[in-house]
Amino acid sequence: MRYVLPLVLLLASGSGWSAPSDLVGQPAADFALRSLSHDNIRLSEQVGEVVLLNFWATWCGPCRQEMPLLEEIYQKYRRAGLVLLSVNIDEDAAQAAEMARTLGVSYPVLMDSRHEVAKAYQIGVMPVTVLIDRAGTIRYVSEGFKPGYESRYTDKLRELLNE
Amino acid sequence: MLRTLTAVLLWLLVSAASAQDAARTTDELKSLDQEVQALKKEVLDLNRELFVLEEELLFPANTQVAVFVSMDVGEFFALDSVTLKIDNKEVANYLYTEREAQALLKGAVHRVYVGNLKAGEHELIAIFTGKGPHARDYRRGATVKLEKGVGAKYVELKISDRAVRAQPEFIVKQWE
Amino acid sequence: MKLSRCAVFLLALASGLALTTAAARGRAVAEQPLVGTPQVVKDLRWGDVLFYFYQGEYLNALTRLSAAQELGYLNEHALEAELLKGGLYLSLGQHEEAGRIFRALLNDNVPLDVRNRAWFYLAKVWYQRNYFEEAAAALASIRGALPGDLEPERHLLEAQVLMYMERYDEAVRVLERWQPVGDGNDVWSAYARFNIGVALVRQGRIDDAVKLLDGVGQLPAPNEERAALRDKSNLALGYALLKADRPAEAKQVLQRVRLVGPQSNKALLGVGWADSAQGRFTKALVPWLELRDRNLLDAAVQESYLAIPYAYAQLGAERQAAEQYMLAVNAFAEEQARIDRSIEAIRNGALLEALADHDDERAGWYWQLKNLPDAPETRYLYHLFASHEFQEGLKNYRDLRIMQRNLDNWALSIDAFESMIDTRRRAYAQRLPMLEATLEGVDLDALEARKNELESRIAAIERDNDIVGLATERELAQWRKIEQLEAALASADRSDPIVEEMREKVRLLRGTLLWDFNASYKARLWRARKDLRELEVAYREARRRSVLVERARDEYPARTEEFARRVEQLRPRIEGLRARLASTAEAHNRHLASIAIRELEAQKERLAAYSLQARFALASIYDRAASGKSGGGE
Repeated sequence: MRYVLPLVLLLASGSGWSAPSDLVGQPAADFALRSLSHDNIRLSEQVGEVVLLNFWATWCGPCRQEMPLLEEIYQKYRRAGLVLLSVNIDEDAAQAAEMARTLGVSYPVLMDSRHEVAKAYQIGVMPVTVLIDRAGTIRYVSEGFKPGYESRYTDKLRELLNE
Repeated sequence: MLRTLTAVLLWLLVSAASAQDAARTTDELKSLDQEVQALKKEVLDLNRELFVLEEELLFPANTQVAVFVSMDVGEFFALDSVTLKIDNKEVANYLYTEREAQALLKGAVHRVYVGNLKAGEHELIAIFTGKGPHARDYRRGATVKLEKGVGAKYVELKISDRAVRAQPEFIVKQWE
Repeated sequence: MKLSRCAVFLLALASGLALTTAAARGRAVAEQPLVGTPQVVKDLRWGDVLFYFYQGEYLNALTRLSAAQELGYLNEHALEAELLKGGLYLSLGQHEEAGRIFRALLNDNVPLDVRNRAWFYLAKVWYQRNYFEEAAAALASIRGALPGDLEPERHLLEAQVLMYMERYDEAVRVLERWQPVGDGNDVWSAYARFNIGVALVRQGRIDDAVKLLDGVGQLPAPNEERAALRDKSNLALGYALLKADRPAEAKQVLQRVRLVGPQSNKALLGVGWADSAQGRFTKALVPWLELRDRNLLDAAVQESYLAIPYAYAQLGAERQAAEQYMLAVNAFAEEQARIDRSIEAIRNGALLEALADHDDERAGWYWQLKNLPDAPETRYLYHLFASHEFQEGLKNYRDLRIMQRNLDNWALSIDAFESMIDTRRRAYAQRLPMLEATLEGVDLDALEARKNELESRIAAIERDNDIVGLATERELAQWRKIEQLEAALASADRSDPIVEEMREKVRLLRGTLLWDFNASYKARLWRARKDLRELEVAYREARRRSVLVERARDEYPARTEEFARRVEQLRPRIEGLRARLASTAEAHNRHLASIAIRELEAQKERLAAYSLQARFALASIYDRAASGKSGGGE
C-alpha cells in the first residue's frame, strides 16, 4: 500500500506533470502542520529566517541517508538563523516518529498525512528539499537524494543566510 | 432597525409625557427631544460607519457566510486546533501556533472560514482542541443550526470558560 | 726571382690594403644580450623596456627605463635596470654616463654577480676610449665566471686589451688558457686569434702569427660572419707570407678565400703575386685578368691594371705590355672623370639623399649599413664605407636623425597635451554649476537624522512588541475609526440591545484587525529592518561620494594648472633641442660631405699615382724599343 502512495500523488497532481522545481522564484505556499512534539508550526511565521523544507516518508531509502546529514546541517546552522522543517507524508505518525528517533533527528518533524502541503508543493518523488529565503520566496529545489547533494544544500544555504 | 428606533423614540416620548412628570416644563421636554435627536443622529452615523467597516473588513466580495474564532478565558488554555464541518463536509481545519494562540488571548479574532451557502437550513459542527492547565488534552465541540437568509451571515465561536472555570467551551453568536 | 722595384711598391700597397681591414674591435652584432641572462619579468614595465631593447630600439628603451625609474616602478628589477641603463648608454655612445652608472654599482651592498658584470662593462668603456691599463684592471676585478655569452666576450676583451698594450705573448697565453665553449671554436675566440695574429704580423712575428691565423683561416663557416672572418684571416696571413718571401705557402692560404666576397679582389691580386714571385707569370695573369674586369673603384682592381702589363713585360711581350699600360692610363683617366662628377654630386647634397633612402629605425652604437645603395650616383659610397672615419661620422648622423624624428613626435604630442588640458578646463567649467547645485541640494545631515529616527522607531516597536506600530495607513485609519466607535459606544446606554449588538460587532471588527496585525507583524518587521539596512548602505555610500566629490572639486583646477605649467615648460625645451639638432645635423652633413670628398680626392691621387707609374713603364718600354734592345723572350 505504501508504495502506491507516490503514484497517487503523481496522479493527483492534476493535468500536466508539474515539478516542484517550477516553483523556484515563487512565494512559498503557506501552511500550518502539527509536529511530532505536538506544537503547531506555521511557515509564514518563519519570515526573516532561511527555511529548509524536507519532504520524506518512512518507505524512502535515500531519506535514511539524507536525514542524518540534515541533522548535521541543522546543528551547524541553526544559530545562524536556519529553520529546518521536515514534512512527513506517512499516514502513521508512530512509524514516522520511530524512524526519526532512530536516525537521531532533533529538528521538527511535521505530519502531513492528508498530503495537503505535499500537493501544494507539487511533490512527486521522495525526498524533496526546498530552500526558502528570508522574504519567503522559494530559491532552490532538489528532487531525490544522492550522496554529495548535501554540499549543494550548504552552498546555497550560506548564500541565503548572507542575504 | 428603524422600527426599533421609532419604538425607542415613542417610548421616550411616552415616558416624557407621563402625568408624574407633568411638572416638567416645556423647556425640559425640548432639551430631551434635542437629546434624542442627537442620539438618533449619532446612532445613525455609527451605523453608517459600521456598515462601511463591515464592507471593508468583514465583507470580502462574494461571500455570504463568515465564521470567527475568538477567546475569552480566565484560566490558562493553549488552543491547538479548530475544525469546522458544514453539512458534514469539512470546510476548515486550522492549526494554531503558539503565537497565534497568544494573539487570540489578547483579543484578536480569527476569521477562520468564509464561504457560500445556499439559502435555507444548514448544520455547522465546530470542534476545538487544546491543552488546559496541567497539560491536559482538551476537546470540545458545538453544533449550530444556521438559517441562511438572503443577506450575509456571520457566526462567532467564542471559546469561553465563564460558565465553568477551567472548562472552556464554545459560545456561539450569530448575526446578519 | 727578385721582384722589380715597382712590383715591390705595388705589393707593399697591396699588403697595406690587406691589413687596414683588420682589427675587428669586437663583435658588431646589435642583438647581444647586454645583461647576459634570460629575463624573468616580474614587473610589466620592465617587460615593456625589454620589448624595445630586444628590438634594438635603444633610445626608446632608455627613455622608458629612465621614466619608469623616476616614477618608482622598477623596484623588483632595480639592479638589472641599472645594468641595462649603463649598457644602453654604452650602446648609444655615452661613455661618461655609462661609466658613472657602472661605478655606482660597485659597492658591497650589490650582489657579486651584478658587481662582476659592472666591472666587465666598465672594462668595455675604458677599452673603447683606449684606456687599456684601466680596462685590464677592471677585468682583473671580476671574481668568477660571467653568465652566458658574456664570459667568452670577456676573454676576448682581455686578450685584445693585452694586445693593444703590446703584450702579445700574454695575449696569446690568455688565448691558450681560454676554454672555448660550444662547438669547440666559438666566434669570440676566433676574433681574438685574428686580431692578435694581425698584430703579430705587424710586429714581424710571422711564425707566431701563422699559428693563430692559420687556425682561424680553416674554421667551419656556417654563416656569413664566420665566412667573412675566415676570409680576412686567410687574406692577412697570405699577404704576411708574401711579404716574408714565402709565396708558395701564401698562394695556398690565399686560395682559401672565397671567390665572391669582400676580400675576393685582394685575394685574387695576392694569388697573382704569389705566382709572380715564383716566376710563374703566365699563371699570375689568370687571377689578374679576372680581377681587371671588376669594379675599377677597388684598389686591387686598379692594381691589376698595372700588374697585368708588368707580367707581360716579364714574359717579354713588350708590345702587349705597352697596350695594357695604355689601357690602364685610359681607364684611370675615365675613372678620375667619374670621380670628379661624384664630387660634384656630393657638393650638391646628393650624398645625404642617398643615405636618407636607406634609413633604419635603430640607433645602435654597433649599427652597420648592410645594404649598400646601388645606383650610379652612389657608387663612390662603396669606397667611403671602407673609411673608418666616414663610418663613425655616419653613425652620428644616423643618431641625429633618429633624435630629430623622436622630437618631432614629441612636438606633436605636446600639441595633443595642450588640447587635452584645454578640454579638462572646459569640462570642469561646464560641470561645476551642476556639481555645486547637487552638493547643496543634498542635505546629508537631515537624511542621517531621519534615518536614525526611523531606526529608533523600529527598535521601539520591536522592544515593545507593538504589533499596531507597523500598520499601513489604511489599516491605521480603520483602527482609529474603531477606537472612535468604541469611545462613542462607551457613553451610550448599555442596556439597549441595539447598542449592545453594535458593541459586539465593533469588538469583532477590532479583533479581526488585531489578528491581521499579528499575522503580518513578523514579515513587516523583517522588511522594515531590511529596508533600514539598505538605507544605511545607501546613506554611507552617499556620504563617501559626497566627500570625494568635494575633494575632487577643490583639487581638480589646481592639478589642471600644474599640468599646463609642465607642458608649457616642455615646449620651449623641445623647440630648443630641435633647433640645435637641426644645426648640428647640418654641420654634420657638411662634415660628412667633406670626408667623402676628401676620400674621393685621395682616390684620384692614387689613380694619378698609378697612372704615373703606367706612363713611366710605358716610357721605358718605348725607350727600350727605340734604343733597339730586344725585349727578352716572347
